[in-house]
Amino acid sequence: MSETILSVRNLDLKFDLRGRTLHAIRDVSLDVYKGESLAIVGESGSGKSVFTKCFMGLNDINGRITGGEILYGGMNLAAFKTEKEWLRIRGREIAMVMQDPMTSLNPLKTVGAQILEAIRLHQSELDKAQAHKAMLDILSDVGISEPEKRARQYPHEFSGGMRQRVVIAIAVACKPKILICDEPTTALDVTIQAQILKLIKDLVREHDMTAIYITHDLGVVANVAQRIAVMYGGDIVEIGTCEEIFYDPRHPYTWALLSSLPQLGIKGEKLFSIQGTPPNLFTEIKGDAFAPRNPYALKIDYEKRPPFFEITPTHKARTWLLDPRAPKIEPPEAVRKLSRMEALSNG
Amino acid sequence: MLKYIAKRLLSSLLTLFIIIVVVFVLLRQMPIEGYFDNFDKLDAKQVDAKLTQLGLKDPIYKQLWSFFKNLFNGDLGLSSRYSKDTPITTLIANKAPLSIYMGLMSLAISLALGIPLGAAMARSKSGFWDKFGTVFIVFINAVPAAVYYIFIQMYGTDAMRIPMTFSRDNWLTWILPVVSMSLGSIASNAMWLRRYMLDEMNKDYVRLARAKGVSSRKLMMKHIFRNAFVPMIQYIPASILYTVSGSIYIESLYGIPGMGGLLVDVIGRQDNPMVQALVMIYSSIGIIGLLLGDLLMAVLDPRISFVKKDGAR
Repeated sequence: MSETILSVRNLDLKFDLRGRTLHAIRDVSLDVYKGESLAIVGESGSGKSVFTKCFMGLNDINGRITGGEILYGGMNLAAFKTEKEWLRIRGREIAMVMQDPMTSLNPLKTVGAQILEAIRLHQSELDKAQAHKAMLDILSDVGISEPEKRARQYPHEFSGGMRQRVVIAIAVACKPKILICDEPTTALDVTIQAQILKLIKDLVREHDMTAIYITHDLGVVANVAQRIAVMYGGDIVEIGTCEEIFYDPRHPYTWALLSSLPQLGIKGEKLFSIQGTPPNLFTEIKGDAFAPRNPYALKIDYEKRPPFFEITPTHKARTWLLDPRAPKIEPPEAVRKLSRMEALSNG
Repeated sequence: MLKYIAKRLLSSLLTLFIIIVVVFVLLRQMPIEGYFDNFDKLDAKQVDAKLTQLGLKDPIYKQLWSFFKNLFNGDLGLSSRYSKDTPITTLIANKAPLSIYMGLMSLAISLALGIPLGAAMARSKSGFWDKFGTVFIVFINAVPAAVYYIFIQMYGTDAMRIPMTFSRDNWLTWILPVVSMSLGSIASNAMWLRRYMLDEMNKDYVRLARAKGVSSRKLMMKHIFRNAFVPMIQYIPASILYTVSGSIYIESLYGIPGMGGLLVDVIGRQDNPMVQALVMIYSSIGIIGLLLGDLLMAVLDPRISFVKKDGAR
C-alpha cells in the first residue's frame, strides 16, 4: 500500500448524555492510505458515523475525545479545540457527502449559490467570474445538464438523485484530499443508487481523492471499496481488503453480517438474522462486544478484549478464535458458500 | 403572480363583505332599549319617532343597501350616539393618528429588541442570554400585563420625574406607554425567533454547510437566521392591525386620546354606524396585513410559488 494520509491511533470518544456517559468509540486505530477507497461497515449505532465525524470535528459538543490521536498532514486533529483550527480541515482537506439529499441543502438558497459558497471558501484565488465558471463546470461534472439554468433553481426543483449530485458537487468544489461519503445512497431510489456510486467513484479517481464510505449496505461496499473495516459496538473488529472480508472473513460478526445477506440465503428457508441486540454503550464493555450474540463465543471473549490477530499483512481481526489455542471452528454455511463462489470464479 | 394577487384580493373583498353583513345583521338584533338614554320615560310614539330617525324601521336589506351606497360615495355616516351627529371620518381622523404613531413605534422597538434577543438566545443555548431571555419571556407571559403596566407607570413616572398623564407635546411622556406596549411583542418575537432558529440549527443543511467549512458566525447569519426569519416575517404586516386599534388599557392608564377601546365603547352604546365603520376598517387592515404577509413570504421562500411553473415539482 502507498503512504498513509490519515492515521487514527487508539481513538476514544465519549458522549455525555444527561449525566450518563456513552462510550461511542472504544480505542480504535485505523490507517487510511492515500488514494484508496475504504468502506466502514456496521449496523446502526456501531459508531461508524461518529468515528468519521471525529476527522472533521463535526460531532455534537457533548461528544469529547478522551484519548488517542488523529494524525493528518502533521497535525493531531484530536487535539483541535477551536473552530479556527477546524476551518483549516473542513471542506479544504476533508469533505463530506451526507446521507439525505432531501434535507442536506438549504431550501432558500439557489443550488448555484450553495456550490459557489464552497468555491469561494476554498478557492479564494478565483475572481467572481472564474468562480461562477467553476461552479457551472462542477455542475456539469456531476451530470447535471443545462447547468446555467439549473444553478438558478432551488433545491425543491430537483429530484432526490439530482440533489445528491448537487451535494456531491459541493463536496468536490471544496477540492478536498479526503472525501467521506456517509451512506450516500441510503435515501435514494435503488435505480439511482448505482449511478450515484459510479459518479462518486469517477470523481474520486479524477480528482485524486481518498474515499471513505460509511455504509451498512454490503452491496455498496462490494461495488466501491478496496478495503473494508467492519465496526461493531464502537470498535473495528475486522479489517481487510474487499476480497479478504467477503471470501475469507474471520470474525464471527463479519460471518453473521454476510450470512444475513438475502442473496446468500437459501430459498424457502428463513433469512438469517443476528440474535440479540447491539451492546449498550452506556455500560462499560468487557471483553469482546459481540460475545453475548456470538454463538461461537469462548469464555475468554467475555473477559478480555481480543487483540488484533494478523491473518495477512492486510487482514486483521479481533477475535479470540484466531488464537492458536482456540478450538477450530468452521464458518457458517453462507460464508463457506461465498468462498466457494470465489474459488469457482477464480478457477 | 398578478393573477394570484387578484384572486386573493377578490376573496378578501368577499370576506370583508361577509363580515360587514354579519355584523350589520347582528347589530339589528340588539334590544331597542339600548338606543335610548331614558327609555322608561318615553312613550311609544317618541320611541317610534327616534327609531325612524335612526333608520331602524326600514327592512334590513334596505338599510344594508343604503349603507353600501353611502360607503361607495366615501361616506361612513354620522355617529348616532357616541358623539351625536359628528361625521365618523372626523372622529377617527382625530383619534387614529396617535394610536398609529405609538403602535408603529412599539412595533419598531419590538423588532429592534426582540430579534437580537431571540438570535442571542438561540446562539447561546443554555448560556447567559438564553437564561436571561427565558426569564424575561416567562415573566412577561406569566404576569398579567395590567400588573407590570401599573408598575412601569408608578416607578417610571417617578424616576423620570414626569407627569402620569400623556401629553402630545412632551416627548418624555411617550416613552413609558410605548415601552409598556412593546414588552409583550419583544417577548413573543424573541421566543419565536429563538424557536425557529433552534429548529433550523438542527437541520441537515446546516450540518452540510458546517462540513464544507462555513464558520459558525457566517452559518448563523447567512443560513440559520435568514431561514428562521422567513416564517416570522409573515406575521409582521398583520400585527399592524394592533397598532391601529390601540391598547385600551395603556391608553386609559396614561389618558391617551387614541383608538383603544373605541370599538368596545361604541358597541356598548349601540352606535350602529360607528360599529359598522370600525369593524370595516379593522377587518380591512387585518385582511390586507395577512395578504401582505403571504406575499412577503412568497417572495422570500421560493418553495411557495403562486403559479405552478412548467416542469418543476
